[in-house]
This record gives sequence, C-alpha cells and structure tokens, in this order.
Amino acid sequence: MIRWNKAAAATALAVTAALALSSCAGGDTGSDERGATLTLVALSAPVTFDPAGSEWGNRSPFYQAVFDTLLLATPEGTIEPWLATEWSYNDDNTVLTLTLRDDVTFTDGSKLTGDVVATNLLRYKEGTSPNAGSFASVTSVEAPDDTTVVITLSAPDPALLNYLTRDAGLVGAEASLESADVATTPVGSGPYSLDTASTVTGTSYTYTKNPNYWNPDVQHYDSLVINVLTDTTAVLNTIKAGEANGVKLNSNDTAAEVEAAGWTLSANELDFQGLLLLDRAGEMNPALGDVRVRQAINYAFDRPSMLTALQADRGTVTTQVFPASSSGYDPDLDEYYTYDPEKAEELLAEAGYADGLTIAMPSMSVFGTTVYALIAQQLADVGITVEATDVPVGNFVGDLVAPKYPASFMALEQNPDWQLIQFMIAPPATFNPFHSQDPQVDDYLQQIQFGDDATQASVVKELNRYIVEQAWFAPFYRVAGSFATDPNTTVEMLPSNIYPAIYDFQPKQ
Amino acid sequence: MLTFIMRRVAAGAILLVVITVIAFSLLYLGSGNIARTIVGQNATQEVVDRKAAELGLDRPLFVQFWDWLTSAVSGDLGRSWFNGQLVAVQLSSRLAVTLSLVIGAILLTAIFSVILGIFAARRGGAVDGTVQFLSILGFAIPGFLIALFLVLIFAVNLHWFKATGYVPLATSFTGWLSSVTLPIVALAIGGIATISQQVRGSIVDGLSRDYVRTLRSRGLSSNRVLYKHVLRNAGGPALALLAVQFIGMIGGAVIVEQIFALPGIGSLTVQATSAGDIPMVMGIVVVTAIIAVVVNLLIDLAQAALNPKVRLS
Repeated sequence: MIRWNKAAAATALAVTAALALSSCAGGDTGSDERGATLTLVALSAPVTFDPAGSEWGNRSPFYQAVFDTLLLATPEGTIEPWLATEWSYNDDNTVLTLTLRDDVTFTDGSKLTGDVVATNLLRYKEGTSPNAGSFASVTSVEAPDDTTVVITLSAPDPALLNYLTRDAGLVGAEASLESADVATTPVGSGPYSLDTASTVTGTSYTYTKNPNYWNPDVQHYDSLVINVLTDTTAVLNTIKAGEANGVKLNSNDTAAEVEAAGWTLSANELDFQGLLLLDRAGEMNPALGDVRVRQAINYAFDRPSMLTALQADRGTVTTQVFPASSSGYDPDLDEYYTYDPEKAEELLAEAGYADGLTIAMPSMSVFGTTVYALIAQQLADVGITVEATDVPVGNFVGDLVAPKYPASFMALEQNPDWQLIQFMIAPPATFNPFHSQDPQVDDYLQQIQFGDDATQASVVKELNRYIVEQAWFAPFYRVAGSFATDPNTTVEMLPSNIYPAIYDFQPKQ
Repeated sequence: MLTFIMRRVAAGAILLVVITVIAFSLLYLGSGNIARTIVGQNATQEVVDRKAAELGLDRPLFVQFWDWLTSAVSGDLGRSWFNGQLVAVQLSSRLAVTLSLVIGAILLTAIFSVILGIFAARRGGAVDGTVQFLSILGFAIPGFLIALFLVLIFAVNLHWFKATGYVPLATSFTGWLSSVTLPIVALAIGGIATISQQVRGSIVDGLSRDYVRTLRSRGLSSNRVLYKHVLRNAGGPALALLAVQFIGMIGGAVIVEQIFALPGIGSLTVQATSAGDIPMVMGIVVVTAIIAVVVNLLIDLAQAALNPKVRLS
C-alpha cells in the first residue's frame, strides 16, 4: 500500500507540474506579445512562393507580407502608387508606361530596377499562376532605364492596372527567381521576410519585420504569423481562446458565436452564389437555349428565404453578377426577378415545356447538401427536374469548364469589370465554357475594351442589364465574406479581395 | 530467431509493394482533372495543360508508377504537387508531431492501463465496478467528443493549454507541452479504457490459476506473485493490443490533429487526399505502412522475450 501511495503521489506531482508548466506557457502566448506580433488565420496555404505561380484571394497575405506589388488596391476601391509611382497609357491604351521608385531594396540587398520588374512580369505571363491568363494580351515588357517599365499590349486591357495590384504585380528579387528554392524561400522587398526555420509549410508561416523597408508607415507589427486552419471547430476554438488577432471565417454559421466572444466582424460582398446557366445556345440541353426557360428558372427561386437558410441572412439578394462596387451595378437589378413560381410556369408553357423538363447539374460536397436540396425543390415546384450527379471535389471545376453540364450551382468571385467579363462573360472566359456569343454582347465588349473611362462605365451598365434580361445566370445572393478581429485589432476590408491587405491591420489605440 | 525476423521483414516488404500498387492505381483513377485543381478555377486551359505536362501527368500510368517506385526505393518520394516541397522533408517534420502524440498517448495508455487494471483486479468490489464503469464510458465516448470537451474546458475556458497549433520541442518545452497535452489525453482515453479492461481480466484470470496457488503455497508474497508472474503472463496479450492501439492511433490522430490544428501526418493526410496530391499521399501510405510493419515486428520480438513459447512457435 505504501508503494501505491508513493506512486500515486508521484503521478499527482508530475501531472501538477505539467499543468503548472503548461499553464505558464498558455499565459506566455497571450498578452505579453500582443501588438508586437500580428497573428492571422487563413483558410488556405500558398501553393508556392514563386511569384510566377502565385495567386491572390485567400492566399494574398502570404505573398503581400514578403513581396510588394507594383500598384496598390485600397479599401476605398482606388488604385494607388506602390512600387510604381506613376503610370500612363498611350492614346490607344496599348502601351502602359510605369515609373518605379528608386529607393527600394530587396531583402537580399539587391536593388529594384526596371529590368527586375520586366523579368518578373514576363515570368508571370509564362508561369503557372491560376491568373497567368490575365497577361494574355501582353506582347512585350521592356525597361528602357532603371526606373521605367513599358508594357505593350496586343489590344487594350481595361483590367491591367487592377492585375498589377495583385499576384500579377508581385516583384521578387532577380537572383531568387533563378534559385532552386524559389518555391519555398521568397525574397522580396515587402514589409516582412519569411522565417523559414520557424515555418511549417502548409500550416504555420512566421515572418519578421524587414528593417530596411521603404515604407515603414505600414509596418504596424514587429512580426507576423499566419496559421492555416481549415476546420470550422478549430477556427472557432482559436477565436474563443484568443490565440489570433484576425481570422477569416470559412462560414457565416459561426458569426454569432464569434461576436459573442467579443470579436468584431467586418465583411465585404465579393462572391455571388447561384446557378450558372451555361448552355445558352441549347447545345446540350435545348430547353436552356430558350431565354424564357432561363427566365423561368430565375423566377423560380425565393432568394430571401435561401439567404436566410443558407447564409444566416449575411449577404444581399441579387439577380446580377456585377458587384455593388462596379460602375455597371444597378440596384434595380438586385430584384429584377422576384419569386414568382406562377410566372415561371407560364414562361415554361410559352416555351413549350408545360409538361416540365429535366436539367443535368453536378453537385459537390464542399457546398453542403442543403443548397442542392433547396435548388431541386424550388425548380421542381415549377416543373423542372434536376438530374444531379455528385462530382469529386477535385473534378468539379474541370467538369464545369470541360463542359460536361449545361448548368450548375457555383460561387464565383465578382472581380472589377473587365476582369469579371474575362472570367465569366466573354466568349473565351473560363466560366463561359460553351463560348456563348451574342452580337449585342460582342458589341458591348468591343465598346468597353476600346472606349474611354466614361464609355466603359456606361456600357458596362448596359451590358449588365442585357445579361440579366437574357438570364445568362440565375444569381441568388452576394455572400458577406466575414473577417473577425479581436478586441485589440482593427482592419479595413478591401472591395476587391476576400482577405484584407496586411497593411490595413493595426493595433487598436 | 533470425529466420523468424527475416521472414517477417520479407513479408513486410511484399506487403509494402502491394499496398503501393493498389494505392497508386486508386489515386490515379480518382485524380481526374488534377492539374485544373492545382492551378485553380481562374486558370486558362493553356496553363492547365502546361501544369499537367510539368507534373508528367501526360505520361501513361505505368510509366508514372515505375518512375515513382524507382525513386522511392532510393529514398526520393518526389515533390508535392501543391506546394513544391520535397515529400520526404514534409513527412519527416509532420511525423515528429504525430509521433509526439502517439508515443505520448501509448505511454499514457500503458501506464494508466496497468495501474487501473491492477487496481481494479486487486481491490475488486466497488473500486472494480467504478473502474469498469469509467472504462466503458471512455470506450463509448468518441475520441473527437473527448477532444472537443477537453479543448473547451482546459484551453478555451481555463487557458491552461493551447487550443490550436503546435510548438516544436526545440522552440520551447513548455510551449510544446502546452500544445500536445490535450491531444495526447484525447487520444489515450480510448486506449486506456480498452487495455485496462484487458489487463484487469488477465490478472483476475491469472490469479485463479493453479500455478498461482502453487507459488503462494511455497510462501511467495502476493506482490511477488502478481508482479513477477501474473503480470508477466498478462503482458503478452496487452502488448499485442497496445500495438494495435498504436497503429490505430495514427489513424485516430487525423481527427484530433484537425480539432487542435496540429501539423501532423493526420492533418496532412486530410489535406493531401482531399486535394489529390498523389506524391504526398503515396509518401504517407509508404511511411504509415512501414510504421505498421515495424511496430508489429517489435511487438513480436517483445512477446518472444516475455514468453519463450512464442519463439518456439
């Protein structure tokens, strides 16, 4: 018995010591370092740190910490100088001349020059970034001197300046681009540099302040940690335990709990969710070639109820694909198709489908099952049967753009105008896989591409209305993308990206 | 004994080859538009094709497998399709995390199972009943629920431990302890529940055997009979069960690592399989298969050391 008591005492002592030690550790990670370290949570890790393979969206903070972009997208929706101080187009908008700062040094000690920028831009065009196609119209990039870069285009690209605020505008040190470690050891001129020794690829990335940064005004922290969390429970636990300062929420379902924990939610409406009615010529499903059928589908959805059921009312119902920040945005088009199942049935009868019709659509686990059930139910109510095929996550987008389905539910990013047009409306657009073409749309696109700013703004508005009237899509709502910050941190959201710029995080005064 | 070991190693090697062939075939068949997945929905078809060629996906399946196998034999498991890192490098850093958890959990399981098993068997009555009840409870409650409960109480409310993330041992011992304690406890509870019952049953059974009566009649103390003879006999089956637990815990770590956001093999498996990162998944398959083979071999050897009859068989 004596031995047992001793063993029990020793065990109790060990457990107590462990608890005490770990209790100290828990305390250490909290208040002492707050303000000195900005700890963020992101939903996805970067595939590579090679600027030529980079992407934006949820992965932007990883790149923005270490690299600078040529231009800067602001929370106000404007484009401001960054590595480039000035820019101008020639008369027909096919030659863009950029003037670079002359006081920028990369963390390897090399200087920013026109040649370095030209190398980066051409590598991006030839690289495997998901957005490499945005440089399709770039025919040459030249650097006549150390502070000048000239980009020549085959045709005007109204989205080019916007591209230079994102992955396409990232500039890495020239020597690092030729290194075998280019994917894992980034060398940029950004406000922080990656501490590779403290970084666990795919999970946690640690950055330290760049002491020679050209713009110390935006370095609000001594170090930066970005943790990748995909699990909703882990995200919520991190917030409740106060183990981060800024967290991108992967679901609006947890918003109420996050606010109850004393955190502040900021939001922008960057994505829309709804049906892509891709087969507008009726090649795969003749019914979809009839505009009345596409309109009937739009009338079949009770959008406010769907927003409540699927997004906890965090978002705005809409029937247009252009965002509120677009010059083409028209508030009336948010309610162009109201919930009217009877009108939907009338339109279907007029189109010769009084007895109903069937549309094949893919489904994917990522979006959950509720949304598909609601879509099938609401379409069934007006006589449209959904023939659903469950597609593996990895194949979903590939199947859509193949194209293997005439229509599909999807969430798509609402980019600035010309970018959005190239993404989902123009004949070669990724999400126009049937290459739908319409003389009226072609005319609008021509005017937007070659017109001045005023023309672009007015014609985008006409294009938007036309696309809605022709029911190329059946959008449900713009989703509020929520970003949570702890009580010690403030942030401003960008209208053009799902993740805020790292410069816009600040300790609360 | 040497023949016994050689035979087990050869069987393990064959098993490894069979597993890799099956895994590679299944993964390839399910990979579909993997190049599109890697470069994302914004990419043009030209970029997708460029990526596919860069990864060698435009070659026949057999050629891809043969290249993978010949490289793997020399220790080169390739590079991740998604982050460009060497698979072996990523696996080694992740393995340290998972092994921290699993070894910690197995030690905890072994210690507490033996203590509780002996305690219940010797005391009997209400003590035995209580231990059995707790064991059934520990066995019945799913590991992820235990993990959620622990994180809510000890991390979120009490702030004693980290709720998410991993601190390497080399960075800070207390930080490491803070990040692994709850996951280890979450992993161990199921094992303790199972093995403590097994130990208890073996001891109760052992104490009623004739040889125990004989030993006692020769004047050996109860403790000597229990610790030197009965426990030794009970150790064999417990060790076998512990080996199964060890291998099972590597699988169980998937959920625990997700909940605690730990960068281990489990979370890597989820990421790699859902993304379709075939080189990474193949690396995981090979490493976990090797661990399973080695653990089984070690347990066989340990059992042989405990019980000479095993060596004869």
